Amino acid sequence: MKVGLVCPYPWDVPGGVMAHVRDLAEALIAAGHEVSVLAPVDDDEEPLPPYVVPAGRTVPVRYNGSVARLVFGPISARRARRWLRDGQFDVLHLHSPETLSLSLITLLQASGPIVATFHSANPRSRVLAAASPALQPALEKIQGRIAVSAAARRTIVEHLHGDAVLIPNGVHVKTFVGAEPMPGWPGTGGALGFLGRIDEPRKGLSVLLDAFSRLAQGRPGLRLLVAGPGDGDEVRAALPANLRDRVVLLGLISEEDKPRFYASVDLYVAPNTGGESFGIVLLEAMAAGTPVVASDLDAFRRVLDDGRAGKLFPIGDPDALAATLAGLLDDPTRREALADRGAARVAAYDWSAVARSVLGVYQTVRMAHPAHPTHRAHPVREEPAEPADPTIAPRSGAGPRAVAGS
Amino acid sequence: MLNVVAVVSAVVLLATYLTWLAGRLDRLHARTDGARASLDAQLVRRAASAMAVAEYAVAAGLLSVATARALSSAARVASTAGVAERESAENDLSRSLHTAVPLLGQRDADLRGLLADLAAACSHVVLARRFYNDAVRDTRSVRRRHLVRWLRLSGHAPTPGYFEIDDTPTTALTALDPAQPT
Repeated sequence: MKVGLVCPYPWDVPGGVMAHVRDLAEALIAAGHEVSVLAPVDDDEEPLPPYVVPAGRTVPVRYNGSVARLVFGPISARRARRWLRDGQFDVLHLHSPETLSLSLITLLQASGPIVATFHSANPRSRVLAAASPALQPALEKIQGRIAVSAAARRTIVEHLHGDAVLIPNGVHVKTFVGAEPMPGWPGTGGALGFLGRIDEPRKGLSVLLDAFSRLAQGRPGLRLLVAGPGDGDEVRAALPANLRDRVVLLGLISEEDKPRFYASVDLYVAPNTGGESFGIVLLEAMAAGTPVVASDLDAFRRVLDDGRAGKLFPIGDPDALAATLAGLLDDPTRREALADRGAARVAAYDWSAVARSVLGVYQTVRMAHPAHPTHRAHPVREEPAEPADPTIAPRSGAGPRAVAGS
Repeated sequence: MLNVVAVVSAVVLLATYLTWLAGRLDRLHARTDGARASLDAQLVRRAASAMAVAEYAVAAGLLSVATARALSSAARVASTAGVAERESAENDLSRSLHTAVPLLGQRDADLRGLLADLAAACSHVVLARRFYNDAVRDTRSVRRRHLVRWLRLSGHAPTPGYFEIDDTPTTALTALDPAQPT
């Protein structure tokens, strides 16, 4: 099957949606499908995997407590159109088309079998509520909607008045198993790990730093390993002077280094305070065999099987986090049991399983098309508003399969 | 002069909008029809899979005569039902599957293969039905607009109806593939 994926966020800035698109693309390619990914790219020098087609740069926009990097403009629109025309995809699969992004720009120009995955879990989004009537005509073109979490699905139901099938994120379990820890880690005094943007309040690093400060005074060997982009000086300033050299900031780490990062700590901590629709990092840590301690968000509770596959603590509560961490740091047997249950839980989330489910959606949507391949010999032509060919094409343009639309 | 320009532009704008709206509605009907065809195909596939499982179970003596007969007759009725009886026939099949599948076990590779087919068919029904009902919801919400009703922009196309059946997969089947969408 020829699949066109659209990633709304820059390919060279690691993030949940970008990683999802990359891993889905690779799992589909591994299953023998032909995949092309259209994505914004901010750094022209960055080498891209062969399946990525760059769509131009992005513009930073503050939205909903985060900085979103969005893509606008005629250049992206033209590139999207050309990509659609050249790709001749059997299925077009957009990610987060409800944001003002490359996905929406592409959706506006596309027709044919279209699938979309909704990543955002924000049931009270005023922006989404206000934008939904204007987005409706474009979103109506989507024939199969996927939500990555129950919360993301609820967001669709409340704001976009539709429904979606739930297919959770996946993880490449194999790549995380048996990695070599970084030299000198985890050590004997206990090591905690955090991965995520350090200057993004909702990632909750400040909650972990609070808990760490409390624990570290009584545990001279305890260290904290922090991976993720952001301003490290602010983090150091938030710590008592005597603890600063026990918090190691790695900055942004590569995908290749992630398994080693997880292997380097005794406990992985996800202190997020909200906005998290799934929590792929939890699954990665579980795949690496590192026990997880996470805040009690809906999405985390589901991934952690109600606390059986990882410990939960009340959201934003550094005291409770410190107590939970202390209990686990003192009990290697419990840590091991937790890691074992985590590793067992993560198998169902492997990308191969997720890609199979997504392919089921592609098949269903293609079958819904007037010119499903079984009809190809006798194309159904009585529906003038829909292309008779199941291939995605720009709505208008020079391509031989281009179709005039609304 | 200015008045004429204003009136002409208003008329042009309105006509453009109405044309666009009619086109939008047309696309929605096409999407709904396509989704319905897909749903019908998946339901037929599910009935065929259920029939194959029933035949195997009878031959291998895995089910009581009554249970096996209930399953195969539900599968037959579902695959031949007309539009009016479709939902209740498919519900009967769902019920028969809920009763029969847990009794089958997984004693050999043939049965496991048949059950895997059935599991895939059932999960595709879930997908197709959700996508169909989504299409119906989108279509109906545009059809409800005053302009669409007053000007009969939907032409002769009948209002599509939701397709409501119980398609929750049997636990014995989801266990075969836990990553199936829900």
